[in-house]
Amino acid sequence: MITEAYASAGAAGKEAAASGLPQFESSVFASQIFWTFVSFFILLMLLRKYVLPAIETILDARASRIADELQKAEAGRKEAERLQANFQGQLVAARQTAAKMMEEARLDAARMKEQAHEELQQELTKKKNAALVEIEQAKHKAMEEVRNVVVELSMHVAEKLIVKSMNTEDANRMVQEAMTNLGESQARLH
Amino acid sequence: MNFSLVAEAWAETAPNVAAGAPKLDPLHHFQVVNYVKLAPFGFDISISNSVVWMWLAVAVAFGLFRYALRAPTLVPGRMQSVAEAAYLFLDGIVNDVIGPSGKKFFPGIFTLFFFVLFCNWLGLIPGSFTVTSQLIVTGTLALSIFVLCIFLGVYHHGWKFLGFFVPHGLPPFLLPLIVPIEVISFLARPVSLAVRLFANMTAGHTLLGVLFFFTVTLSWFGAWLPFGFTVVFSGFEVFIGFIQAYIFTMLTCVYLNDALHLH
Repeated sequence: MITEAYASAGAAGKEAAASGLPQFESSVFASQIFWTFVSFFILLMLLRKYVLPAIETILDARASRIADELQKAEAGRKEAERLQANFQGQLVAARQTAAKMMEEARLDAARMKEQAHEELQQELTKKKNAALVEIEQAKHKAMEEVRNVVVELSMHVAEKLIVKSMNTEDANRMVQEAMTNLGESQARLH
Repeated sequence: MNFSLVAEAWAETAPNVAAGAPKLDPLHHFQVVNYVKLAPFGFDISISNSVVWMWLAVAVAFGLFRYALRAPTLVPGRMQSVAEAAYLFLDGIVNDVIGPSGKKFFPGIFTLFFFVLFCNWLGLIPGSFTVTSQLIVTGTLALSIFVLCIFLGVYHHGWKFLGFFVPHGLPPFLLPLIVPIEVISFLARPVSLAVRLFANMTAGHTLLGVLFFFTVTLSWFGAWLPFGFTVVFSGFEVFIGFIQAYIFTMLTCVYLNDALHLH
């Protein structure tokens, strides 16, 4: 139906009767060739002068910026590595120092302990000796006192015997007894 | 909705379609109309709708790039990223296809891609004119590239450029057969380059035109289908516009590479 419609319209109208595509209408070719060249070269000039350099500039700037940043990052990494190695060395040295100090302290402590022990020993010995001397002195003093008592007792006995006018035999016996007693008391004191 | 109803509705609208038929010509929007007649020294440089949309493509391409790069920063904004991506995309094509010696052709290739791309895309604006649907425009570009390639080949290789038509390791008795084929395929290059772009644009826009005419001539219950399809197809045309610009640029690089390095 549509073809019929077009056919009838074509028979009537002159535009549709024109054969083929409008693109083959050669009367407009010359101006289009000319303006295609002109338009193309104007666009070429405009892009080459204002657009392409701008894009190239910014792309180059970004590329160099990225290269810079990478270089900086690399330098930073190397610096960090160096610092770490440095620190590691310091750490080892510090550990060694600490170990040495510990050892010294241990030795010091041992020496001081020994010294204290020795001093205590000396002190004790001194005290013991002093005590022994004191004991000896006390013994002597006690012996002296006992002797004094015996002498006094003997004098009392002698007085009494003299008073009772005892004979020689009795006197001898009594002295003997007294001496024996004295010896016994002396032995008891020891 | 049954078919008799549709047929009935169509019977009502058919006379209107017939009456409006010359206006509903899907090829009408390819018509070049001269706005200003200019012919200094007998040479026609009239300003037509085609020429105006060429200028607009140039203006939009340049304007978008200038806008994207109005204040370029090291950390790019969205538009700047797109501009940079476009640059790197084309730089990649030129580098991959031509290699380091393609550096001096880069501005031209870049311009060619965006000229074709924006001519394609601006043509999708309803009521606009698709410059790349004109065979004479694509032909002018393709023939210029072809002539440039021949010039470069002769300039760089002299008579050895004719060796281009003799494939390596070809048995001599096949020469009379292969060499004409190579010559024809070489001559076909600008034709295929020009016709591919022109035909793609023309076909796509003609189809869009036909679908829109269906939409306006069918009654409301029938119109939604072609109209929906025009929406889908417009999106597809955006993709085609990009692909065709890419192919045009890519083949230009391939031809330049052949001229520079033979094969």
